[in-house]
Amino acid sequence: MKKIPVILILLISSFYSSGQIGSVQSDESILYAQTKQINQFFRRFNGEEDVTGKRIYDTDDSFHSTKLRNKYLNILFDLSSPLITKDAREVFILEVNSKKNPVFLDFHANNWFAEVSADFTYNRKPIHMILYFKLEKERLGYKWVLSNVHTSAFNKYFKHVGDSISGENFLHPMSHELDFMTLRKMFASPDNIGYYLEKDYYPDQLALFLKEYQEGTLKFVSSNNVKFHFFQIPNWYFEVSYFNRYQNNSGWLISNMVRVNDQEKKEIIRNYTHEK
Amino acid sequence: MVIVGLIFLSVGLFAQGNDDLSPQRKQAIDSLALEKVRDLSKYISIIGNKDTPWSEAQRVIERAVELFMPGSEMGVSSLSRPEVHYYKLREYFDRLMQLNYDRVVIDWYKIQYVSDLERQPDGTYVGVITVFQRFQGYDKEKGLVYEDTTKKDITVYVKRKETQIGGRLIGFWDVLLGDIRVKETSK
Repeated sequence: MKKIPVILILLISSFYSSGQIGSVQSDESILYAQTKQINQFFRRFNGEEDVTGKRIYDTDDSFHSTKLRNKYLNILFDLSSPLITKDAREVFILEVNSKKNPVFLDFHANNWFAEVSADFTYNRKPIHMILYFKLEKERLGYKWVLSNVHTSAFNKYFKHVGDSISGENFLHPMSHELDFMTLRKMFASPDNIGYYLEKDYYPDQLALFLKEYQEGTLKFVSSNNVKFHFFQIPNWYFEVSYFNRYQNNSGWLISNMVRVNDQEKKEIIRNYTHEK
Repeated sequence: MVIVGLIFLSVGLFAQGNDDLSPQRKQAIDSLALEKVRDLSKYISIIGNKDTPWSEAQRVIERAVELFMPGSEMGVSSLSRPEVHYYKLREYFDRLMQLNYDRVVIDWYKIQYVSDLERQPDGTYVGVITVFQRFQGYDKEKGLVYEDTTKKDITVYVKRKETQIGGRLIGFWDVLLGDIRVKETSK
C-alpha cells in the first residue's frame, strides 16, 4: 500500500460514522478507499468530495482544492498497470492539478464515452459485440445514446472494402455510355461487391446492427464489461476500467493513459469507435 | 397522501416553487433515499431469513416492491459468471425466500455512497446509491457452505409532485427506487 492512500484511508475510517445502514463489524477501509462509482471518480478527480465521501459544493473552501486533488489523483490509477509509468502519472497529476491552469473533468461535456461489451445471438449463434455510448442533451436533462457498434461477425459483409487494387472487378470508365449495362458484372459475385465501392467508404456497422436487430436475426443476451474513454484533458487520453479486487486500489481506476496531440486523439477515437 | 406530505415535511423537503436542487435540498433527498434503501435492506434480511413464516415473507415482499418504480429489475453477476442475469424484482425476492439453505444470514456493511442527482430528459432526477451486503448460507451438518459479499448499485428516482393539504396545493419531492445492479466483489 502506498503512503498517500494509507493516510487517506485512516482519515476516511475515523471520520465516517453517520447515516449508516448496516451492522457488519469488519474492516471496511478497502470499501471506503475503493472508487465505487464513476460519479465518485469524477468527484475525486475534481476535488469535489471530502474524505468521508460527502459532496463538496462550490461554496465550500475546499472545493477543487489542490491539496485534496493531489491526494485523490494519486489513488485514481491502477497501480498494477504496466501501461502507466510512475513518471507519466506524476506529469499527468502536475498538469491537471496545476495551480495556474487546473483541468477538471466535466460529466456533461463531450469527449468522453462508454464502451460496453455485450453478448448477442446472431442467427442463433452466440457472438460478442462492443456498444459505444455517449451522453446527449435532450429537453430537461441528459441520456446515454448508442453512437456505434462493432462486431467481427459483421466483417464478412465488408470484404475487399478499401482494397487499393480491384483486379478485374471494376466498372470501366465508359460504362455510362452503355447506360451502365456493365452492372451485370458488378452483381455477378456477392464476394466481390466490396471492390466496387468508393475507396473512402467506411463500413457502417450501426446500420447493419439496426437491420439485423429489427429483423430478429440479432438478439440481445447480456452485457458484461464496461469501460470509459476520456479525451477531455489537453494532451492526454485515458481509459477508466473497473477493478474488482480486495485491495485499496480498486473500483473505477485509470487503466491506460497516453500522452497525445489532437491529431493522435482523433486517431484513437477512430480506433476505438471504428468510425471514419 | 397527507401522511406522505408529513414525511416530506419532517425532512424539510417541500419544494420552493422550482425544480432546482440546492445542496441543502439534495442532502434532504439523500436522507430520504437512504431511508428507503435502509427499508429495502431490512426487508431483504427478513425475506432471506429461514425463520420468517411464508405469509410474513409474502407481506414483506409486497412492502419491498412498493419501494420501487414499476418494472424495476435486478441485474446480477458473480465472479464466475461476469455476464449480467436479469430478474424481475418479485422473482428475485421469491428466489431469495426459497434459497436451499438451512439458515441464511444477510448483513449490510456500514458504508454507503450516494451519487449526484442528474436530470433525465423528462426532468426526473436520477441517482445511484451504492451499498455492500454480506450473504452467508448454512447447512445443518456442514455449517457455513456459501458466503459472498455483493456491491449493490441502487437507482434512485426523484420527482417533483404536488398534493393538496387543507385546500392548498403543496409541491414535494417523491423518491422511488429503480433497477439494482448486483455485483459479487472479490474476496
